[in-house]
Amino acid sequence: MHCNDHHHHENKNYSRRDFLTKTSLGLGALSLGSLISPVNAYGQSDFLNLLESEKMKLPHFIPKAKRVIYLFQSGAPSQLDLFDFKPKLNEMFGKEVPKSILGEQRLTGMSSGQNSFPMAGSLFKFNQHGQSGAWMSELMPHTAKIVDELCFIKSMYTNAINHDPAITMIQTGSELPGRPSIGSWLSYGLGTDNKNLPEFVVLVTKGKNGQPIYSRLWGNGFLPSQHQGVQFRSGKDAVLYLDNPPGVTSDIREEQLKSLKKLQSMHYADIGDPEILTKISNYEMAYRMQTSVPEVMDVSDEPQYIFDLYGEDSKNPGTFAANCLLARKLAEKDVKFIQLYHRGWDQHGNLPKDIKKQAKETDQATAALIKDLKQRGLLEDTLVIWGGEFGRTNYSQGMLKPDNYGRDHHPRCFTIFMAGAGVKKGITIGSTDEFGYNIAERPVHIHDFQATLMHLLGIDHEKLTFKFQGRRYRLTDVHGNVVNEVLA
Amino acid sequence: MRSELFDFLGSLHPLMVHLPIGIILLTIAIDVFMRNKNNSVQRVITMGWFFSFFSGLLAALFGWFLGDSGYYFEEQINIHRWSGVALVFLSFMIWILLFINFRFNKSFKQSINITAIILLMLTGHFGGEMTHGQNYLFDNLPFVKKEISLTPLSEVESSEVDSLYVFEDLIFPVLEEKCITCHNENRAYGGLNMNAFESMMEGGNSGSGIQKGKPYESLIYKRISFPQDHPKFMPPAGVPMSYDQIAIMEWWIDKGAKKQMPINLARNDSKMLRLMEVLYKFDLREKTYLETLKLPGLSSEELNGLNDEKFIWRFLNAEKSFLDVKFTAKTIQKVDLLIMQKVKENVTWLNLADCMLSDELLSYLGTFRNLTRLKIQKNPLVTDKGIDGLKELKNLSELNLYGTSVTDAAFITLGQMTALKKLFLWNTLVTPSGIKNFKTQNPEIEVIAGL
Repeated sequence: MHCNDHHHHENKNYSRRDFLTKTSLGLGALSLGSLISPVNAYGQSDFLNLLESEKMKLPHFIPKAKRVIYLFQSGAPSQLDLFDFKPKLNEMFGKEVPKSILGEQRLTGMSSGQNSFPMAGSLFKFNQHGQSGAWMSELMPHTAKIVDELCFIKSMYTNAINHDPAITMIQTGSELPGRPSIGSWLSYGLGTDNKNLPEFVVLVTKGKNGQPIYSRLWGNGFLPSQHQGVQFRSGKDAVLYLDNPPGVTSDIREEQLKSLKKLQSMHYADIGDPEILTKISNYEMAYRMQTSVPEVMDVSDEPQYIFDLYGEDSKNPGTFAANCLLARKLAEKDVKFIQLYHRGWDQHGNLPKDIKKQAKETDQATAALIKDLKQRGLLEDTLVIWGGEFGRTNYSQGMLKPDNYGRDHHPRCFTIFMAGAGVKKGITIGSTDEFGYNIAERPVHIHDFQATLMHLLGIDHEKLTFKFQGRRYRLTDVHGNVVNEVLA
Repeated sequence: MRSELFDFLGSLHPLMVHLPIGIILLTIAIDVFMRNKNNSVQRVITMGWFFSFFSGLLAALFGWFLGDSGYYFEEQINIHRWSGVALVFLSFMIWILLFINFRFNKSFKQSINITAIILLMLTGHFGGEMTHGQNYLFDNLPFVKKEISLTPLSEVESSEVDSLYVFEDLIFPVLEEKCITCHNENRAYGGLNMNAFESMMEGGNSGSGIQKGKPYESLIYKRISFPQDHPKFMPPAGVPMSYDQIAIMEWWIDKGAKKQMPINLARNDSKMLRLMEVLYKFDLREKTYLETLKLPGLSSEELNGLNDEKFIWRFLNAEKSFLDVKFTAKTIQKVDLLIMQKVKENVTWLNLADCMLSDELLSYLGTFRNLTRLKIQKNPLVTDKGIDGLKELKNLSELNLYGTSVTDAAFITLGQMTALKKLFLWNTLVTPSGIKNFKTQNPEIEVIAGL
């Protein structure tokens, strides 16, 4: 009875007639709105406004960097075996990590079931290098020679504990897929410095195993799709489907594209979807790239000593070294964001052996890239970043042996380094505790790092926004503080 | 012993004063409101004035002791002291007159009552000013817009940061909030007046307040940094100073506790730099030439010439006054330089790499006085003569000459570029000994000439 009363009461408040009279107006208004400008129906009514107003204000202040080369080390390199020297771990090799250090936080399912968390001091020798006295392990002899050019951040931390969310986080500012990548934001915000090449180019080391790398990591998310990263592959077709089909000459192609553009422009005038503009610009870009891409991918006129600098791998297309060389060439051509991916750092077991190989593949070319940029004056306006998505644990995953151990995922601290435009040289920011488990000084969150990166490019990370699904998004979402100690 | 007893009784004064206040007001209220005054009412009123007099006498006596304790300045006590004495005397007189059954006429009684109330308010108000601070009453008036004298530091423009002082702008506002209510020229607890820089340094009864360069021996610093339950911890009530505020105080004393110490001295101290940034959002880093340069923004007409396939340009600041220009065609011509000359004040970064630039064309850049970054690498036609034409570029901090035909002779001109910080000379005709010489003469210029 009570139940019935309740229903009756509700019906009285909102009769069928009420419903129809009240909502039909709303629905009508909604459909009228999208008839006038279909753009509104996509929830992107601010898109064009933004292009006119906010974006025209960019940069917000004088930039230090004009472009970025991000040497992304996928899988999370072990900071404890490369940069973060912790003699305490060697002293207490095999002893349990103290409970007070370990704390109560979650561990991954891969090591949380372990009965014991034995501390694993690095098997590699550490030395101080350069005038700055930065600690580097013997794994990176070439990079060790240029530490005075580098700025280490040893107190990076992230939210995610597994690869996919962590790498999505560092690339897009969110653990959930669907947001634009850093390079897309920069392309959207700053536009192009070279009309013949995309603003955001991706190079992936070929033939590597490990955590998957996929195109949404360089995706444009909700930004217009002309801002997505374009992957340049090694081998015959750097960009797939770029060449004309057999029998189609360049003239015919140009004629085709002109006609297509006319059709597309009519279509745009009709329904106003900004994605049509994107499509037009993509066709135009593809046409220009037919000549510009083969030109930039061609390394035949590089002198031998440049190949020597980058290492023997650099003559083998698709290796990290060859990609570093390409990155320099792309930087010379003013590509805004050049992202390299090198997989295989996820060493849960067998770390000492595997990390040696990884370091060998990346060390010389990284140092060479920085030196090469420097001698050409490019390091003045190019920011180079080296780092992974999180760190690795100070305890061994699996059995700890005197000559072998593994390390699990560790989001609570890791090390990255930067070099170049606007960044202080030869300094180390932040530190971890003597067990290398928690941050002791100056924590730098992923969002802080992203805010700093944008700051170096002249962007206030709080001001570069894009309205989507009813709210404004930005790379750092509602977080992020510029790490001013980094700025030169 | 005696003086301790007096001090104790003196400290009871603020308690005691409330007795006569209450009794006087109650007695007058009975007198005014009880129309039908039979004998017993009359006796209550007489008794009321007696107790008014007696408690007032005690309060005045205790007040005298308190006044002698040295916490207060004589000139401020004066009105309070004598109006209090007058009130005690008045209540004594009224009691005596009532006691001898003196017949008051109505208006005389009214004026006596009003005089008592006025004296009561006067005494109370000036007493309150001593304990609560001057203007305590008017500062707290409701519905009145209060004057806020301090600009919140977070609103200070970044360009003004260089003109701020540590004591004046960071420390004094904190002292004003935490210390000066009790330590001022009118009410110097412990003999300490912090309202003036000199008297604060001098200190009070316990010794000097601040010892320059020695924070841990400075009494003021010690008191504010004691543990909070320490009997001498300051401030004794209210919100203590924050860690950051104490840290700034410590740093300031350590650096010599000068009255006019500029805030930008924190530049040399990474901890303070970070603190100022977090606390006040100050950006204390040294400004580059461009950061101090103000130019009017460019209109779209002025930029017409640059809207050509051959140029890629963009603004470097939100004011749209600085330009970053890159020439993209294979060969540059005079007409291209003439186009750029129209906005020569605004071109701050310029890239003319690899475009067959000659000495003659280069000379057009000689008047681009706001150029800070110039890239003319990979132009083999550029020689020492061309560089000579750039010597008027007094703000150029970065010059890229790699792949040009400059020789050691160019060092003479390059040495005259006062703002030059970085010079790129890889793949040129300069000699290692030439570079070495140049470096010794110009140690502040970084020369990058190969790997």
